[in-house]
Amino acid sequence: MQNPYIPYPVVVDKIITEVDTKDIKTFRFKFVNPADEEKYKYTPGQFGELSIYGKGESPIGIASSPTQKGYVEFTVQKAGVVTSALHEMEEGAVMGIRGPLGNSWPISYLEGKNIVIVGGGFAFTTLRSLINYMIFEENRKRFGKITIIYGSRNPGLLIYKDELAAWQKRDDLNVNITVDKGDATWKGREGFVPTVCKEVAPSSENAVTVICGPPIMIRFTLPVFFDLGFSKENIITSLEMRMKCGIGKCGRCNVGSKYVCKDGPVFSLAELDKLTKEY
Amino acid sequence: MEKRLIKKDALAGIAKKMAGDIPVWAPVKEEDNVFFKPLQNDVEPFFAYLNSKNAPKNVFFPHTEMLLKYTRTEKGFVFAAGENKTGEAVLFGVRPCDAHSFVLLDKLFDQEKYKDGYYVDKRQKTTVITLACSEPPYATCFCTSVDGEPVSSEGADILITAIGGDCLVEFVTPKGEKLIKYFGENKADAAADAKKNEVASKAKAAIKSKIPAHEVKPILDNNFEHPFWNTIHARCLACGTCTYLCPTCHCFDISDEVKGADGVRIRSWDSCMFPLFTKETSGHNPRPSQKERWRQRTMHKFKYYVDNFNSIACVGCGRCVINCPVNIDIRKVVEDISKL
Repeated sequence: MQNPYIPYPVVVDKIITEVDTKDIKTFRFKFVNPADEEKYKYTPGQFGELSIYGKGESPIGIASSPTQKGYVEFTVQKAGVVTSALHEMEEGAVMGIRGPLGNSWPISYLEGKNIVIVGGGFAFTTLRSLINYMIFEENRKRFGKITIIYGSRNPGLLIYKDELAAWQKRDDLNVNITVDKGDATWKGREGFVPTVCKEVAPSSENAVTVICGPPIMIRFTLPVFFDLGFSKENIITSLEMRMKCGIGKCGRCNVGSKYVCKDGPVFSLAELDKLTKEY
Repeated sequence: MEKRLIKKDALAGIAKKMAGDIPVWAPVKEEDNVFFKPLQNDVEPFFAYLNSKNAPKNVFFPHTEMLLKYTRTEKGFVFAAGENKTGEAVLFGVRPCDAHSFVLLDKLFDQEKYKDGYYVDKRQKTTVITLACSEPPYATCFCTSVDGEPVSSEGADILITAIGGDCLVEFVTPKGEKLIKYFGENKADAAADAKKNEVASKAKAAIKSKIPAHEVKPILDNNFEHPFWNTIHARCLACGTCTYLCPTCHCFDISDEVKGADGVRIRSWDSCMFPLFTKETSGHNPRPSQKERWRQRTMHKFKYYVDNFNSIACVGCGRCVINCPVNIDIRKVVEDISKL
């Protein structure tokens, strides 16, 4: 059996600086041993432990979709010891990734339903994985209407700009990009995510919303979706906690009896209601 | 089940003889305390002990343990799993409460998905010999309230019970039977069994400290926000002694250590009593004060572990009660919760 504490060695294949502030980058990794890619079989919504020797590990959501073969991507904000070291790395460097860890977006539950994706800021990464998974040619017909509402504080902080532009051109996606405040070059929508959700007003009929963002965005967005008639079972989000082992043993990421690393990170609002508010 | 009778004073000789063939951990006296240590030529086992200062969980779950090691190269790193040098070993003379804790730790570390090989390997290769508490050692012992007994083979491969001047040795598992040759040829008769049963029921009756450990589960289910949680932690120093000494506490940290081009990734014991345990990079801490940390410790032992593994994560050894520098008593905490 695979030792869950040992990372797979990966090469940093490509680094994309996502934002003007340069502190959010997407890292594309290729497996040093090609056979490891099959072992790293993941589902959108899962995360991995990025492992830099001498620094430690950091749990980060997987930003690529399993339909993208040959590599795996993580979008990382520079924040602590590990992520700062990661941001200093160059293409060609070798490091490690562990996982895939945690549950995932509930793909089989989402199938046959209309999907509303709501993202704020940098917390868009595993949503991007889900979107790319759903719009993959062979998968698209398994899902109904797809509405995307994504916002950031300003245009320079939107991540995946090329993909956003490509998605906007598709006729099978309803894409709504917004910024809190635009700049001289911004021709798109201005407004906070909750407000835009109200304006777009996606129908709750046979629909599930998948929402990730800063707590303040989520707090003001939830009432909008309640008003639209979404049940708590059909509002799904993902939690973050400080983690180490990622496999429910080291004891720090539990919310009540549930471990975010192993039983989460994905929970429906109905499930979260049953947990304590210790996150 | 095979059974033997030995003289009580033969125990040390047996342990030392065994240690000549196979690594043996046994209680060893160091000043006023007793610790489980590997027996070596100049180290005498001490079986007339009450209980060890530390729980012997470190035999399977060391204070620090290498998970992997690595070497820096031009392009990055090459790494390998921590070498597993674990061979067969014997843990000789643990108390029934501590043997019980191994069964509880197994539930966490030895799961089908995500088996913790470092723990499981040592656990499987180690034979556990329990030395029953024919007379409960401390007034703070409360094993009978948490599914334990002072004379119990739970978690043991061999159970040794002192009955008068003799010891009855019971070989509980096939793993235990493999060591039968060290215990002589004197087979135990029915009279020894009867004597043991008598000792066991006397010992059980001698445990006077009782807590409503099972009764608090439904109360904890519904009282996460109860003002009671404002009352325990005020004098807690967050020293972590309770978690360090606890036989069932298993939280750990993972960190890297580098020396030149080489490094190791280690895990070391951590504690839910420490502020940094859950503090996130952003500065946010879901358990921001000692109140939440004390609630976590209590909940983990008497609710969360029950939810996840159907067992209370406390074996009633009383170490946290005896050693807390500010006299916080888990028995009192549980008692108070039962009255909420």
